[in-house]
Amino acid sequence: MLIWFLPVFLIFLMIGLPVFFGLLAAPGILLWLSGQEKDITLLYRNVYNGMDSFPLMAIPFFMLAGELMNKGGITERLVEFSQALMGHLRGGLAHVNILSSMLFAGLSGSAVADTSALGSMLIPAMERQGYTRRFAAAVTAASSVIGPIIPPSGIMIIYAYVMGESVAALFLAGIVPGILVGLGLMLVVRLLANRYDLPKAERIVKKGQSLTTKEHWASFLLLRLNLGWVFLAIFRGTTGIASGDDASAVLVWGTFAVCVLAAHLLLMSLRKSVAPDFRTVTKRAVVPLQTPVLILGGILLGVFTPTEAAAVAVFYAVVVAFFILNTMTMKDLPEVLSRAAMTSAVVLLLVGAAMAFKTVVSLSYAPQILADYILSLSENPYILLFLINILLFIVGMFLDAGPAIIILGPILGPIFTDIGVHPVHFAIIMSVNLTVGLATPPMGLVLFVASSVSKERVETIAKAILPFLAVEVLVIFLITYFPAISMTIPRLTGFVE
Amino acid sequence: MSLLHGLLWPFQTWNDIVLKVGRWISIVAIGLMVVAILVQVFFRYILNNALPWPDEAARFMMLWLTGLMAPMAYRRGGFVAIDMLIEALPKGLGTLLSLMLLLISAFVLAFAVPIGLGELTGFSAKFNTASLYIPTTLDFSEWYRVPRWWMMLSLFVGVVLLLIVNIELILRTMITMMGGTVKDLAPPEDEIMAE
Repeated sequence: MLIWFLPVFLIFLMIGLPVFFGLLAAPGILLWLSGQEKDITLLYRNVYNGMDSFPLMAIPFFMLAGELMNKGGITERLVEFSQALMGHLRGGLAHVNILSSMLFAGLSGSAVADTSALGSMLIPAMERQGYTRRFAAAVTAASSVIGPIIPPSGIMIIYAYVMGESVAALFLAGIVPGILVGLGLMLVVRLLANRYDLPKAERIVKKGQSLTTKEHWASFLLLRLNLGWVFLAIFRGTTGIASGDDASAVLVWGTFAVCVLAAHLLLMSLRKSVAPDFRTVTKRAVVPLQTPVLILGGILLGVFTPTEAAAVAVFYAVVVAFFILNTMTMKDLPEVLSRAAMTSAVVLLLVGAAMAFKTVVSLSYAPQILADYILSLSENPYILLFLINILLFIVGMFLDAGPAIIILGPILGPIFTDIGVHPVHFAIIMSVNLTVGLATPPMGLVLFVASSVSKERVETIAKAILPFLAVEVLVIFLITYFPAISMTIPRLTGFVE
Repeated sequence: MSLLHGLLWPFQTWNDIVLKVGRWISIVAIGLMVVAILVQVFFRYILNNALPWPDEAARFMMLWLTGLMAPMAYRRGGFVAIDMLIEALPKGLGTLLSLMLLLISAFVLAFAVPIGLGELTGFSAKFNTASLYIPTTLDFSEWYRVPRWWMMLSLFVGVVLLLIVNIELILRTMITMMGGTVKDLAPPEDEIMAE
C-alpha cells in the first residue's frame, strides 16, 4: 500500500500543494491508513535530523557570500572585465552576458541571482545597442543556468547531502560542463550574429577609471600570489623539487618566493603591451574573482571542507565589500543577512522534508519496483540514460531544480548506480538537466525573473530562448555519453576513484 | 464578513509582530553562524587546536533561523509549489482550490504539533548537547550544559508559527472568496533566490 505515496504525492504537487507539505502529507496519509502511525513520528524526527547537519550549513553561507558580493558592486566589475575581453566580437554584448554569467557562477550558486543581477544591467545596455529586448532577455536567462553548474552550487550541495555524495567531487565535476554550456551558448551567439548582423561593442566603456590605493594593492598582491602558486605547482610537478612530505618548509617557501618574483617579472614585462584602461578594468575584477579561487583552492588543497570554504567566502566578501571596495555600510548588512536567511530557511526545511520522504521511499521499496520497471524497458544503460534525460527535462519544465533533485534523487540515484553509472556522473547529469529546466517554459523560474527584469512577456522570451536551449540539451547529452567531461577533474584531483 | 475580519485581526497582528522579531533573531543567528565557523577554521588551522563547540553552536543557530524565518517565507508565498492549475482555473475555482490546499497544509501542521510536543518530552530530549555550555554567573565561574531539547524546540516553534501563518492565510482566502479585501503581504520575489 505504501507504494501509493508516490502517485498521491504527484497529485498533491500537480494541484499546487507546496512541495514541503506534499513531501510530508503523501507518505503521512498512507502511513496512517496502513496503521503505521508510529512511523509518522519518524517522519517528524527525520525532518529535524535532516536539517541538523554540518555540510548543509554551506547553503546559507554561499547564499550570504553571493548576496554580499552582489550588493558590494562586483557585478559591474565582472561585466566591465568580460566586455574588455569579448566586447569587440560581433554580438559583443551577448558574449559579454554569457562570459559574465560564467564568472558570476564562480561567486554565486544561484541562477536567479545571476539573471536578476546581470539582467538589470545588461538587458538595457543590449537594447541601447540595437538588440531586441526578447533576445537580450533570452541570452540572460539561458546563460544564467551556468550559475548552479559551475561551483559553488546550492543544488549540488543539496544533492550531495541527500544522496550522501562528496560536495567537493560534485563541485569539481561541474566545472567543465559549466564551461561547455557557456562555450555552446557563445557558439549560438556567433551564428546568430552573422545572420542578424548583431553589433560589436566598445571594449572599454568607462575610460580613464582609477583604482583606490587599497584596491590597487589588493589586486597587485593577489595577481602575483595566484600566478606564483600556479608557477610553483608547475615547477613542483615537472621537477619534483620542493614537493613531497619530506621537503623542508624553507625550501618550499623559498621556491614559492622565487615563483612570486617570477610572476611579478612576467606581469611587469607584459605591462607595456596592454592598454592602461584594459589594465585597470582587469585589476578591478581581480578582487571579486579571488572568491572562486579561494573556495576551490581551499577545497582542493584540503585546507577547508566545503562548509568552511563557504564561511571563509563570506568573510572574504565582507572584507571586500566593507574594507577594500567600500561599497557597503553597516546599514546594508541586515537586509543582506535577512535575504540569505529567508532563502536558506526555505531550502533547509525542504531538505529536512526530503530526508523524511527518503525514509518512506526506502520503506516502500519504491526504488526496487521502479528499477524493475525501468530495467524492463531496456537493459542498455545508454538507452536508459536517454530516457531518464527526457524524464528529467520534462520534470524540469514544471518543477524547480532543488525540489526536483530532492524528490527524484533518492528514487533514481540508486537505480542508475546499480547499472554501473558512477554516482558523481549521475549527479552531474541530473543537476545539469534540471538546472537547464530552470530556463524552460512553462514554469522555468529564471524565465519569470528575466521577464520581470526586462518587462518582456514570458512567452516571447520562451520563444527566443529556443536556439540556446537546443545547445544546452546537446551539452546534457554530451555529458551523459562522455563521462570523462565531468569525471576527469574529480579523478585527477583524487576526489573520485 | 466582519466576523472573518475580526478573526483575522489577532492572527495578522501576531504574525506582523512575532515574525518580525523572528526575522531579527535569524539575522543575528546567521551572522553568529559565520563567526562560529570562522573561529573553528582559525583555531584548527592557525592555532592547531580544534574547538569542540563551534560546529554544534552553528547548527544550533541554523536550526533556529530555519524555524523562525520559514514562517515569514511561507506567509509571503515563498514556499515552492506548482501553481499552474490554480492560475489556469477561473478565479473563483482557483481560490477554492487554494483554500483546499491551505486546509491540507493546516492538517499536516496540526498533526505535527502534538508529535513535536511528544518529541520535546521524549527520550532523545532528555540528553544534553555534546559541547554547548552557557554561563550562569556573571563572573563565568559556573556553566550550564545546554539540553538537547533547546535545539529540538526550534522545529516545534517553526511548526507552531507555520500553523498560525496558515490560519491567517485561510482566513485571508475566505475573505477574498467572499469579495472582501485584505492588506497585501510583501512579495517573495526579492527574497527567494535559492535556485
